[in-house]
Amino acid sequence: MSAALLAFQGSALPELPETLRAAPSGEIAAALLISAMLLAVGVVGFLSRRNMIIMFLCTELMFQGAALAMVAFSRHHMDVSGQVFVIFILTVAAAEAALALGLVVLLHRRRETLSADAWGDLGE
Amino acid sequence: MQPIHFYAACAVAAAALYALMRPKGRSVRAGATVLGFAAIAWLLATVAGSLPGPSGRFALIGLAAFVGLSGAVRLITHPKPIYAALYFVLVIVSSAVLYVLLDADFVAFSMVIVYAGAILITYMFVLMLAQQASMEAGVTGEPEYDRLPREPATAAVAGFVLLAVLGTASMRGAETPDSARTEWNAVESRWSDLESMPKLLLERAKALNPQVQSVVAGADGQSLSVRSDGSAVVMVLVTGDETPQPLTLPPEALPENSRTLGLALVGKFPASLELAAVILLMAMLGAVVLARRQGDLAEDERRGIAGLSRLVDGGEERSR
Repeated sequence: MSAALLAFQGSALPELPETLRAAPSGEIAAALLISAMLLAVGVVGFLSRRNMIIMFLCTELMFQGAALAMVAFSRHHMDVSGQVFVIFILTVAAAEAALALGLVVLLHRRRETLSADAWGDLGE
Repeated sequence: MQPIHFYAACAVAAAALYALMRPKGRSVRAGATVLGFAAIAWLLATVAGSLPGPSGRFALIGLAAFVGLSGAVRLITHPKPIYAALYFVLVIVSSAVLYVLLDADFVAFSMVIVYAGAILITYMFVLMLAQQASMEAGVTGEPEYDRLPREPATAAVAGFVLLAVLGTASMRGAETPDSARTEWNAVESRWSDLESMPKLLLERAKALNPQVQSVVAGADGQSLSVRSDGSAVVMVLVTGDETPQPLTLPPEALPENSRTLGLALVGKFPASLELAAVILLMAMLGAVVLARRQGDLAEDERRGIAGLSRLVDGGEERSR
């Protein structure tokens, strides 16, 4: 513990800008709830849609939920590491979009349909 | 917040989403939409209990939640894929509002640029490619796999059980850390970030006093000493004076979000940054390989039609 922290003895710091103030816990809880709901809606969409492109779009929705949770926790602990992770999520999402859409185009050329059910025989 | 309210709201939201997923009449759809909005409001109200009152910031959070979640629901219920992709832009924009409210400016802008700008264009491109092919084949209207969902009841239950579990987990972990201590740690780490950016430190000192010539490091190699009110003192040399003078930097002189983020990215996570570069390179190679295979097959088919010998043995078997 530094000498300055001992000097300041637990009272609130005066005159700090808004970004250095601890966020109200209700705001963090609301952001976490929204992120969980985005994830849940993404899961529902991934399980119920049959169009391969929409299924991949739903995984992007789940990524969005994860990124929002990262940013909310980063604000809660006032540490930028969470935001760095969001940048890595963006990288993975971009790589996934490039590869997955390439595959979808390949599959569409072969069966002339975007339905995931057309490839159900692969699992048998 | 009471858990029973949370679980009840989850159940209502699941029912509304199930009703929206089935292709039914206009009145069912309108009723389910109202029910869904009510469920979102109920869920938000369960977590808003700790707020002092309806402030402007919370109204903005609520608006972003409503717009974003209704966009997300419309994404998974719309029968036309192009509209689903456009609703995803709505989700991105409203979550960017949330990022700005959570003081993550750089993330907000990069989300809009990369997702709404780049990734969505790729999706639209592929969708239009597929649609053009089906239009040439004479298919009109939405195909059956876009109109009818696959097991919507199971999917809705699975999704909202997941939501209930996540909500329970975050209710259990609702112990807040000592906020004064977190603030102090944040202030100290931001000042040490500024310490490791000497050019920015000099710039910030010059902004306060234009005559500042250079920043002097103390005996311990540090230039800044943080004071208990969140400001910091830096020793500077002023033009025409050889003795170092103290200069107080206010908290406004701290580096902004994007500078701190950049420093953390290259300073704290250099290996992950390299790994991300490798992932992008691999994705690029994979995309090139996939595209080349398609080109070869198309070329082969054209040669086959023209009665020429095939370039790839068994290309026909692979394409069928």
